[in-house]
Amino acid sequence: MAELLATAALTKRFNGLTAVNEVDFRVSEGETAGVIGPNGSGKTTLFNLLSGFFPPSSGEIRFDAASITRLPPHRRVALGIARTFQLVSVFSTLSVWENAVLAVLRFQPGGIRPGPFFFRSARRAPVLERCAEALARVGLTGKAALPVAGLSYGDKRMLEIGITLALRPRLLLLDEPLAGLSDHEIARVVELIRSLRGQFTVVIIEHKISKILELVERLSVMNEGRLICEGAPGEVLADPRVRACYWGKEAPAC
Amino acid sequence: MTFMPERAAFSVQPAARGALLRELALLAAGLLLLALVIRVHWMADFAVFFILVLSFDLLYGYMGHLSFGHMLYFGAGAYGAALWLVYGNASAWAALAVGLAAAAGMAALLGGVVLRTRGASFALINMAFNEIGHFLVQSPLAAYTLGEDGLSCTADPLFGAISLYEDRWAFAFCGAVLLAVYALLRLLTRSPFGLLVRSIRENESRVRFLGYDTFRFKWIAFVIASTIAALAGGLFTLVQGFVSPRVISPFGNVDVIFAVLIGGAGSLAGALIGAAAFLAIKNFLPVIIPELSRLLDVKLPQWELWLGVVLLLIVFSLRGGIVGTVQARLRNRKPAGEAQ
Ligand SMILES: Nc1ncnc2c1ncn2[C@@H]1O[C@H](COP(=O)(O)OP(=O)(O)O)[C@@H](O)[C@H]1O
Ligand SMILES: [Mg+2]
Repeated sequence: MAELLATAALTKRFNGLTAVNEVDFRVSEGETAGVIGPNGSGKTTLFNLLSGFFPPSSGEIRFDAASITRLPPHRRVALGIARTFQLVSVFSTLSVWENAVLAVLRFQPGGIRPGPFFFRSARRAPVLERCAEALARVGLTGKAALPVAGLSYGDKRMLEIGITLALRPRLLLLDEPLAGLSDHEIARVVELIRSLRGQFTVVIIEHKISKILELVERLSVMNEGRLICEGAPGEVLADPRVRACYWGKEAPAC
Repeated sequence: MTFMPERAAFSVQPAARGALLRELALLAAGLLLLALVIRVHWMADFAVFFILVLSFDLLYGYMGHLSFGHMLYFGAGAYGAALWLVYGNASAWAALAVGLAAAAGMAALLGGVVLRTRGASFALINMAFNEIGHFLVQSPLAAYTLGEDGLSCTADPLFGAISLYEDRWAFAFCGAVLLAVYALLRLLTRSPFGLLVRSIRENESRVRFLGYDTFRFKWIAFVIASTIAALAGGLFTLVQGFVSPRVISPFGNVDVIFAVLIGGAGSLAGALIGAAAFLAIKNFLPVIIPELSRLLDVKLPQWELWLGVVLLLIVFSLRGGIVGTVQARLRNRKPAGEAQ
């Protein structure tokens, strides 16, 4: 499989603390990969580096063989790197479909045309069909007109994934998409992620291994900022280093 | 999975085509009614203030960027027009155009600086630039602006017939510009651009992860808001025939902020209602209070104190201003007592 993303000795230091330490992380086109690790092991920081939230202290990020190390977030989104956030982040002062309009409009064929973008009512946006599609995909069609502020956490998570998919990403980064959800909601999100396999390249951060074990083809384990082990999920879980760091620290998560 | 996007299920009410026209008619009717109640002499000034408050609402109410330096652009529009009338020719249109161009150019340049900050820094750095503009007009440029003495100027009648020094024409012209500004802002704020501006208010960083270069769009909104403020300033010059450093003083900004807060930030109707309420407080309380004092035979405090009381009321009980509170009441009528 072709390599889509690769980091070289990627490092992020926060005064004194090295949150991500010399990480070489690779993602192949089309795969669904998982990143696990104890709390505070640097998983979110890794996503922040990949998505351009902040620049690395040192090291390099290549996407599609071109360096993106210093690109701002919006340029990375244009290249195809889209992400969700550990704490759901959608626009709660807008309605559900308005969230979708923002996401769909950015990468509509032909780009942003000033006339309709500045002067036409968003309710007549030429992208409403695609918004409907984006919302249907995450099961929010019936809630399109509702203000986001009133949605359940699970619906907000579905919306966040929905608008992120509407960006037509080549690489989708999901930061703990299941955290904070009820069992019922977890089933919905897992089903959604399963339906993405093969269509999108996905990297999922998860704290509880069991939840994503059957979702991912490859697993990477982080501990104290380092990538300590990579491979097929079965092999990785059997690795003594993983067992030591993961199971040594907290109650078994499986 | 297959998708069957049905319009019926995707229940977004398309915008009614005639809504904008209805709102404009309502606004025009409101202005005419106001002109019947108070002296027409004041109406042009009021329309100018309405335009200024609307421009501020785009920046603060919709985009969440509170500026203490918005009067710089009002003043640039006012002085640009006045200087043209004194040193150029007497064309009102050319004067307006010069004022707008001067302010737009300044906003385009300074926007590149101020928009790199946010929150308190944004408010204060704007005020710093405003102070510089105020100072420049007062002394270094006094050879042209005549400093504190101010600048008298006269414009030829519009179309050779409409004299802006007649109260009715001044009101008609400023009122027409106000309607045009309202229409423009209505379109802008309901468009996808309006959604983007509102999303920047809520969480700018998140917007960048939807692929938008937020700086560019903030800059566009800043230049639009500043240019509309300059339009208000240019009109002020045309109808007053006189400008002094007062028009570019950052102190004027306080009135604008109060007006937006009273009416409800982030709504055009709120801005207009707030501006009207503020003008009522500022213009009528100073008249009414001495009368009341005499009638009741007690010494009532000055009007500024009552403005302070109104603001306290709004901060503590009418969050969202008049319009925001009414909307919340209407929304909550069915389920009782749900906390906001
Ligand atoms: N912006 C930041 N500033 C300072 N320290 C941070 C910041 N972000 C993360 N950290 C620290 O970096 C470490 C790794 O955090 P994080 O990447 O969020 O871990 P994980 O997602 O694996 O739980 C933690 O010790 C955290 O406190
Ligand atoms: Mg995390």
